[in-house]
Amino acid sequence: MRVLVAEDEPTLSAQLCAALTDAGYAVDAALNGREACYQGEVQAYDAVVLDLGLPELDGISVLKRWRGGGRSMPVLILTARDQWHEKVAGIDVGADDYLTKPFHMEELLARLRALIRRAQGLASPTLTCGELTLDTRSSRVSLAGMPVNLTSHEYKVLAYLMHRPNVVVSRTELTEHIYAQDFDRDSNTIEVFVGRLRKKMPPELIETVRGMGYRLVPPA
Amino acid sequence: MTRAGWASSLRFRLLAATVLALSVALLLAGLLLSGFFKQEVERQFEATLRQQLDQLTSSLEFNTAGELLPMVRTLPDPRWQRPYSGLYWQIDGPENVQRSRSLWDAVLTLPADPLSDGQVHAHQSAGPQGARLLVLERSVHAPEFPASAWRVAVAADTRSTQDAVKRFGSVLVFSLSALLLLLVLAAFPQVYVGLRPLRSLEQALKELREGRSQALQGNFPQELLPLTNDFNRVLERQAQTLARARQQAGNLAHAVKTPLAVLSQAVVQSQTGSAGTSPAQLAQLVNEQVALANRHIDWHLARARSAGAHRLPGQRTPVAPALAGLVRVMQRVHAARELHIELDAPGPADTTDAGLVFAGEEQDLQEMLGNLLDNACKWARHSVHVHAQALPRSNAGGQLLVRIEDDGAGIDESLRLQVLSRGVRADESVPGSGLGLAIVADLVALYGGSLQLGQSALGGLKVELLLPSVQ
Repeated sequence: MRVLVAEDEPTLSAQLCAALTDAGYAVDAALNGREACYQGEVQAYDAVVLDLGLPELDGISVLKRWRGGGRSMPVLILTARDQWHEKVAGIDVGADDYLTKPFHMEELLARLRALIRRAQGLASPTLTCGELTLDTRSSRVSLAGMPVNLTSHEYKVLAYLMHRPNVVVSRTELTEHIYAQDFDRDSNTIEVFVGRLRKKMPPELIETVRGMGYRLVPPA
Repeated sequence: MTRAGWASSLRFRLLAATVLALSVALLLAGLLLSGFFKQEVERQFEATLRQQLDQLTSSLEFNTAGELLPMVRTLPDPRWQRPYSGLYWQIDGPENVQRSRSLWDAVLTLPADPLSDGQVHAHQSAGPQGARLLVLERSVHAPEFPASAWRVAVAADTRSTQDAVKRFGSVLVFSLSALLLLLVLAAFPQVYVGLRPLRSLEQALKELREGRSQALQGNFPQELLPLTNDFNRVLERQAQTLARARQQAGNLAHAVKTPLAVLSQAVVQSQTGSAGTSPAQLAQLVNEQVALANRHIDWHLARARSAGAHRLPGQRTPVAPALAGLVRVMQRVHAARELHIELDAPGPADTTDAGLVFAGEEQDLQEMLGNLLDNACKWARHSVHVHAQALPRSNAGGQLLVRIEDDGAGIDESLRLQVLSRGVRADESVPGSGLGLAIVADLVALYGGSLQLGQSALGGLKVELLLPSVQ
C-alpha cells in the first residue's frame, strides 16, 4: 500500500513517514501544496494524509483539484485545532475522514486502514482468503491459525493482493504500490516476492495470469 | 479634498440642498407674485375704464324724438380733450358717429358683435399711434325708443399697465435674488454650526487614536449619542476582551508549565538514577504529561475563541446549513458503519422561520453542535436523530432548541454531571480528549443558553441545547 503524506511541518512529516513505513506502507512525503497536488495527480496512491494548512496551495484546493481531475483515492485530512468549518469544507470537497491535531499515531493508522479497506469495499479489518488471514491492524498473516513469517516486502505484496481478491494486478501496479517514489524499482523483484510467498502458503492461491499479472484466487 | 470627496461631504450636500430648495421656492414665489400683480393691475385698469364708461353714459342726452344730442357737457377728465392722450370715447349711432376730441382724426374700430341692452363688452383693439387699447362698449337708447340704439365705447391705452407690470417684475427679480443671496449666506453658518459636533467627534477620535483618552469624550448632540455610546461600548468590550485574553494567556502558560516542570524533574531524576525512572516509566510519564498539556491548550483555545467573539451585536448564524454541513461530515466519516443520521431542521429556504438563526458566531455554533454530533455518532449503534426548532418567544428573547439523540449506551444518570466537567471521559477506550462536552457546556453558558443530558427514546443519550436566536 502506497501512501502520500502532505504535511508542511518537517518534524511531524518525518514522524508520520516513519510510523507509516513501520506499519508497512510505502510512503512519499510532500512538504507543500503544489508538490502534493502534483504527486497526487501523477502517482497512484492507496491513501493520502493531507494537512489542510499547507503552504503555496492549501489542502482544500489540492483536494478540489484531485477530485476535479477524477482522482478518487481515500483522503484523510488533518485540521489544526477543532475547526469544524474546515472539516465541513474538507468533507464537502471530497475528503473521506478527518483527524484533529494533535493526534495519536495509532489513531491515524487505524483511520487510514479503515479508509483503505472502505475504498476496496471491505468492512472487516481482517482480510481472509480461504485459510489465509491477514490482520491489517497488527500486520500479521496466519494460515489455518498458524502464523506465517513474511518479510516486509512479501507482506506488502500479499496485502495489496488481498485487498483486491479476484482482480488481476499487474506487476507495474504492484511495483507502484509497494515502493515509495524515490526507491530504485525493479519489477523483476516482484516475481521473486511472489515466488517466496507461494512457498509459504498454498501455491495455487496466487495465480499468474500470463502477460497481465497476478490474481489472488480464494479456494472454491 | 478631492472633487468627488467634496461632492460627497455633508457640508456640500446640505448647502446644495439649501440653495436648490431656496431657488425653487423663490422662483415659485416670484412667478406667483408677478402673476397676481398683473392680474390686479389689469382689474383696476378695467374698473377705472368702466367708471369712465358709466360717466359717459350718464352724460348722454336725448331729444324728444329719441335722438342723441351732441355731447355738450364736458367730462371732467382732461384727457378726453388732449389729442392722443390715451383715453377715448366714441358713440356710433344709426346715422352719425360722435368721438372724443382726444381721438382727433382716428376712429375706434369696433367689432360687429351684437350687444344686448345694458351689457358691457370688453375687447382689445389697435388704437392711434400703434397703441394697444382696451375697449369697453355698451348699447344705449332713449327711454321711449328702444329701436334706435347707440353703441357707446370708451377706450384706454394699456401701455401704462404693461409698464407697471414690467417695472414690478424687475423690482421683484432684484429683490428675490438679493433675498436668495442673503438666505444662502445665512445657510453657511447654519451648516457650520450644525456640523460642528462631527468635528468634535473627529477630534475625540484623534485623541483616542493617539492614546490621550480611553473613550469618546465630549458633549455630543442627541443624534450622535447612540453612535458614540455604541462605539464606547465596543471599546470597553475590546478592553475587556484584551484583559481576558491576557489573563487566559497567563492561565494557559501556567497550565502548560506544570507538565513541563514535571517532565524536567523526571529528566533530573533519571540522570540521578532515582527509582521509577525506567525507560518505560519515563515514556508513560511523557505521554501523560503531553496529553495533559494538549488538553489544557485545547481547552484554553476554545475558551479564548468563544470569549473573544462572544455576543458582539449583530451576529447571526443560520442553524440549518451549519447542521447540514456537520451531518455531511458525520455521514462521510462514519460511512462504513451505515449510520442513519436523521436531520429535522427548518431548511434555509424556510426564511419565514426566523427563529432558526443563532445569535452568535458560526464557529461557536459549529463547535457546540459538532462536538455533540460527533459524540452521538461515536456512540450510536445505528441511528442518530437531530432536531432543531424555534421556541415561542419568552421574556429572555428568542430561543432555539437543538436536540441530538442516539441509540447508543447512553450515560448513566450519576455520570451525567461529571462528563460536563473538564477532562472527564465516560469511556477511556474510545479516542478523544474528554473535553468535547465540557467545551460545549462552557460555550453554552457563555451564550446564556442551557445544556441538558437525558435518556433518549432511542435508547441512548439525549442532549438538549437551548441557545439565543435572532428574531
